[in-house]
Amino acid sequence: VSRENFKTCDQSGFCKRHRAMQPGSSPYVVLMDSIKIFESSTVELQILNTKNNVRLLLQVSALKDNTARVKINELDPIKKRYEIPVGDALVGEPKLQNMKVLERTDGSITLGFEDNKILITSKPFRIDFINNDEAVVSINTQGLLKFEHYRKKETPPAQEETADGQESDTNNEEQQEGGDEAGEENKEETPQEEEESGMWEETFKNFHDSKPFGPSSVGMDVSFPGFEHVYGIPQHADSFALKTTKSTDPYRLFNLDVFEYELYNPMALYGSIPVMMAHNEKRTVGIFWHNAAETWIDISSNTADKNFLSKMADLVNGGSNEIPQTDTHWMSESGVIDIFIMLGPSAHDVYYQYAQLTGTTNLPPLFGISYHQCRWNYNDQEDVKNVDANFDLYDIPYDVIWLDIEHTDGKRYFTWDGEKFPNSEEMINNVAAKGRKMVTIVDPHLKRDDNFAVYKEAKDLDHMVKNKDGNEYDGWCWPGSSSWPDFTNPEVRRWWATKFLLDNYKGSTPALFTWNDMNEPSVFNGPEITFHKDVIHMDGFENRDMHNLYGQYVLQATSEGLLLRSENKERPFVLSRAFFAGSQRYGAIWTGDNMGEWGHLKISLPMLLSINLAGVTFSGADVGGFFKNPDAELLTRWYQAGAFQPFFRAHAHIDTKRREPYIQPEENMKIIRQAIIARYSYLPLWYTLFYEGETKGIAPMRPLWVEYPADKNTFTMDDEYLLGTSLLVKPITEQGQTGTQVYFPGQNELWYDVETFKLYNGGQSVYVDAPLSKIPVFQRGGSIVPRKLRIRRSSSLMVHDPFTLIVCLDKKESAKGNLYVDDYHSFNYRRGEYLHREFTFDQNEFRSQSVDVHGNISTKEWIEKIIVVGLNKEPSKAVLNVKGKEPQILQWEYSSYDKELIIRKPGVNIATDFSIQLS
Amino acid sequence: TVPRPRGVSISMASYYQPGAKFRCLDGTKEYPFEYVNDDYCDCPDGSDEPGTSACQNGKFHCTNAGYRPTNILSSRVNDGICDCCDGTDEWDGNIECVNNCKELGKKMREEADRVRLLQEAGYQKKLQNIKEGKQMREEKKVELEELQKSKVDLEASKDEMEARKNEAETPEKEAKEKHEQAWNELVELKKAEKEKLRAEIAFAELDTNGDSKIDVSEIKVHSMFDVDSNGEVSDEEALEHLEEALEADLEHFTLKVWPNIKDVYKAPGTESKGDNQDDVEENKASSSDIPEVEGYDDDDDYIDDDDDDDIDDEDDGYMDEEVKEDTGNNEEEDKMPDYDDETKSLIAIADEARQQFTEADNNLRDTENKIRDLESYLGNDYGPEDEYSILKDNCYEYTDREYTYKLCAYSRATQRPKNGGSETTLGNWGRWDGPSDDKYAAQRYENGQGCWNGPNRSVKVHFKCGTENRVTSASEPSRCEYAFDFETPSRCTAPPNRSSDDIHDEL
Repeated sequence: VSRENFKTCDQSGFCKRHRAMQPGSSPYVVLMDSIKIFESSTVELQILNTKNNVRLLLQVSALKDNTARVKINELDPIKKRYEIPVGDALVGEPKLQNMKVLERTDGSITLGFEDNKILITSKPFRIDFINNDEAVVSINTQGLLKFEHYRKKETPPAQEETADGQESDTNNEEQQEGGDEAGEENKEETPQEEEESGMWEETFKNFHDSKPFGPSSVGMDVSFPGFEHVYGIPQHADSFALKTTKSTDPYRLFNLDVFEYELYNPMALYGSIPVMMAHNEKRTVGIFWHNAAETWIDISSNTADKNFLSKMADLVNGGSNEIPQTDTHWMSESGVIDIFIMLGPSAHDVYYQYAQLTGTTNLPPLFGISYHQCRWNYNDQEDVKNVDANFDLYDIPYDVIWLDIEHTDGKRYFTWDGEKFPNSEEMINNVAAKGRKMVTIVDPHLKRDDNFAVYKEAKDLDHMVKNKDGNEYDGWCWPGSSSWPDFTNPEVRRWWATKFLLDNYKGSTPALFTWNDMNEPSVFNGPEITFHKDVIHMDGFENRDMHNLYGQYVLQATSEGLLLRSENKERPFVLSRAFFAGSQRYGAIWTGDNMGEWGHLKISLPMLLSINLAGVTFSGADVGGFFKNPDAELLTRWYQAGAFQPFFRAHAHIDTKRREPYIQPEENMKIIRQAIIARYSYLPLWYTLFYEGETKGIAPMRPLWVEYPADKNTFTMDDEYLLGTSLLVKPITEQGQTGTQVYFPGQNELWYDVETFKLYNGGQSVYVDAPLSKIPVFQRGGSIVPRKLRIRRSSSLMVHDPFTLIVCLDKKESAKGNLYVDDYHSFNYRRGEYLHREFTFDQNEFRSQSVDVHGNISTKEWIEKIIVVGLNKEPSKAVLNVKGKEPQILQWEYSSYDKELIIRKPGVNIATDFSIQLS
Repeated sequence: TVPRPRGVSISMASYYQPGAKFRCLDGTKEYPFEYVNDDYCDCPDGSDEPGTSACQNGKFHCTNAGYRPTNILSSRVNDGICDCCDGTDEWDGNIECVNNCKELGKKMREEADRVRLLQEAGYQKKLQNIKEGKQMREEKKVELEELQKSKVDLEASKDEMEARKNEAETPEKEAKEKHEQAWNELVELKKAEKEKLRAEIAFAELDTNGDSKIDVSEIKVHSMFDVDSNGEVSDEEALEHLEEALEADLEHFTLKVWPNIKDVYKAPGTESKGDNQDDVEENKASSSDIPEVEGYDDDDDYIDDDDDDDIDDEDDGYMDEEVKEDTGNNEEEDKMPDYDDETKSLIAIADEARQQFTEADNNLRDTENKIRDLESYLGNDYGPEDEYSILKDNCYEYTDREYTYKLCAYSRATQRPKNGGSETTLGNWGRWDGPSDDKYAAQRYENGQGCWNGPNRSVKVHFKCGTENRVTSASEPSRCEYAFDFETPSRCTAPPNRSSDDIHDEL
């Protein structure tokens, strides 16, 4: 990475101002007499900044599902401060719930909801969230609240020097901008507050930020007493458990196109989700900082302030042990403070609580979670045909072939290069004839060319983002000079959506889906390769106010376009590079332009764990790495890892060698093929997990501690993870490795190698052989995993195929599992056309029954095989019982060595309730 | 037809006997016959499910009457795609397949006919190519042998001529040296006389008081003796010029003084400051040449101060020659007289020998070059029957939307933008690069111009049967890795025996 292209905290005026604050000197006090209570669920209080007498409005609300909200805005701003519209990040208006005032004193007020207390202290201002008499989240305990109110610029007596401090070396560039900022220049300060650097304008490299509205940042500290580990705030190429930032920059959230990004580094990347979870042996809590401006987060370890806490009744459970605490300091350039405090107490609860706020990942169409073959670029129709044919020739399944920017007529999206793709419909139809799909890239930058209809229309409709002077913003991207529709505007999004109608997108078909790249947005000649912060969006708000949401709006508009195209019948599929809180509602994301290096394979795990924790569960990393040429070993290992990650796509830069699986050396080709086949065989599990994700918000890909919350060994573990509750995955991410140390969680758990059914006991770390052909994946004893073992060319050709159920028994010889089934592509499941089945094995009896009476669909899928592993005694009889039918004797094979029973062909339709009695 | 389970070919039908137990074809296991095609995989080799998709490793046989029978992967049975033209792979009713084997068969036969005609036509040309190629090889071989033979003679001849030349050159050299030495002595003599005369004149000029002696005061009046250029000739400087004699008579002057001042000396009245300096410098340059060249040493700082590098050295040398030539021209009007007749005839004899030697040497070199060319030709691989030698030294062009591609067989491949611009080398002849069992299916041209951020360009040329030699397509499937399709009769194969109906082999 070229670090000099991106700001450090020191180079970002507001970050520098906030970070320079000293703890323990907060000027803010709550005016207790100002209390107002609304709808028995919201308490309003005024906060006074005793240094400048500016008043803030504090709103504390109790929300359904053990969640609270704290909002701080200016009481009487001279200009409306930006708030993210409800429905954009938040899926809707959060549901309030009753809250009581438990106690009021001169200096504090205690509120109560569910079994939580909220203690608001006046002087200095702080809020503590208390559960079971333990503070679990505390706000402004360090007194780092800083709320820069909007203020008027005083006309300067004379032109002074341009920006001070580190900006002073950039006078030349500033002068190019003309004299306008000479007038804006304002060194006069309000009487109460001292002027600090970068408040009224800022320059980075040769980019000038005019800051017409002056300083507007907000920041505050949030502490997690009793928690040593915090997670989330993606996207960073860093470890899953977040690190203290004492000796580095804060973690930065600011959607940026970072060329060849660096690993183990808090720099900003393509997406930003200001969500953090804190976890200890007893509980999990989370916070959502509902703000889409550039945000920096400092993290430090501390010990809890016992003096304060001990004032609370029974707070410390005896003992003089110090309570560990993690302090976080959140700093945003603009907007309001709006924090959701998700009180758990379990990780599953926090996932659910966050899902209630920002929504869940919609169940993807089955092809979306299958294997995707991408490259920049498949050159022409012949190329596409050959790649497609080669996958069949080598009998490697794939579902989607992708076309990058070169497919267009001069990077005009929604068009085709007529020479290379003279008949795109025929090409797509040929691919679709095998149940496959295609994806074309549609980026948000529009070539400034009046002969390009989409651009012309957007221009004529006045749909473009404006620069600070009110003219159409003009920047450089792939097509050269480009403009960007203002996707923050719902009307523009509706207009954009119509571009996907088959009549408008010539040469497309219903089997064509979409990829939004460069939507941070990437502006090659912009500051930090993105928009100038003073560009203007809808209602006169600046990009500064909601930068991190722009990409999500692009994704949303595109997703809505695909919905519009199918009249809301077919599930859309859109891949986006930029993302924010709520992006999960619209599509998949990937980790951007990674590199074909071992380190990037390794980092894909913590990156995805973090993104998944923050709700964007349909996510993956480019298999093979985007830049550079991975050798056959790295590529093979990457396929093995990718096969067990939620979004599974191979991609490569245009300058790299071709690397499709079938052109690998034969040994590697075969192993890669097996990895892809493994992915397809587990699609029923993935699909079921995504269904549970849509309903419960839980991510299919989870850190171990989500399921083993009390196991401290797992708290910093980010090289292995769980898929649902049944699979443990430890991909090989080191060159030359032929084995790996696997930690098997759960003292009483049993884990079975999914290929050999070799047994491992939980609660220990074991070295497991992993030659090149081996993916270390283990199924938990006590789980039942549905698979489809017939190899087809694509997932849609598997829809009638039978299931094989893998029953891995726990120490009590029992197991449980789920299966979700529907038509795999439409929204009919929302009208009840689905099956949600539960399988159990207990006391030598296997049962299959519906767990959701609302769902029903007729399907040809049936059960061909049930494999029971960990059965100590061979049965003498297996009888299938289906209601209304004669009992049927089933055949089986049993291996006493493996303790493995294979029940031959129950032959029951998957929709049927049945049991198999072993005796 | 023999009744047999779905997906089993006639040749395999005997392994599937209703009523008997079914033994997996790999012999590992035995099952009731009802287990055959019951949509559950029992046999490790998949042989119990020839007609379903139950086994991962199974094969399904379609008869495809009217077309050609095919084995497809059993994973393609009942997957909703008609893979067999007779539609037998989709028997579960999920999709209706149209039996289009007849049309396909017809098309196939037409295609087979077309290919056969092409192959036949191409093959005839190929035979010609082979013939020419072999002939060419034979010719080259013969030529090579001959050349190798004649090379021996030529070497002998060259050696002989060299000996003769050396023999003739010895007396020539002696005679010439003798003549030249005589001449040089004469020249030296003349020079000395002339110098003596100049000294006498100078002596007369300097001896201003006419006492036939030159004393210090007579020296001091001449600025040319102002060695340190301080504007006056000091006693010391004067004494130095007089070689420490207070006064010099003519003899002392001629022998001791004159040699040291002759180069700076100017007749009184003609001297000027500038001239003087020029002369000094010139003098310095020429006289410093000798010690410096002899003592030349890169490590010697002192010498480096004067002579910065080799180029300076050469310049100095060059100047020296000019200077010498100049003085020669000025002072020596006479040229060396012609050699005497005896010497002349020796020279003529030597010239003759030299010329003959040069001729012999050239002949040998010529032959060696030819041999090298032939060896290179014969060392190249033109296919098992030399059928590709016809392409050597020929270039073939192909033009697409943007570029004109050119392949010069066994040499290099290039690309030139149509709208002008410079040619890019895509690759230089590398090797045959077909698959291991079909090496002559492709050629690789490698190490072309480097790519920014990528490999050196390269081209893989894929050969296909055709009646003409031509490039039929050029593409860049991967950045800077090009692919040409090349049609040539040399890639055509012998048409099959017409009496055979087994069209299978043709495809």
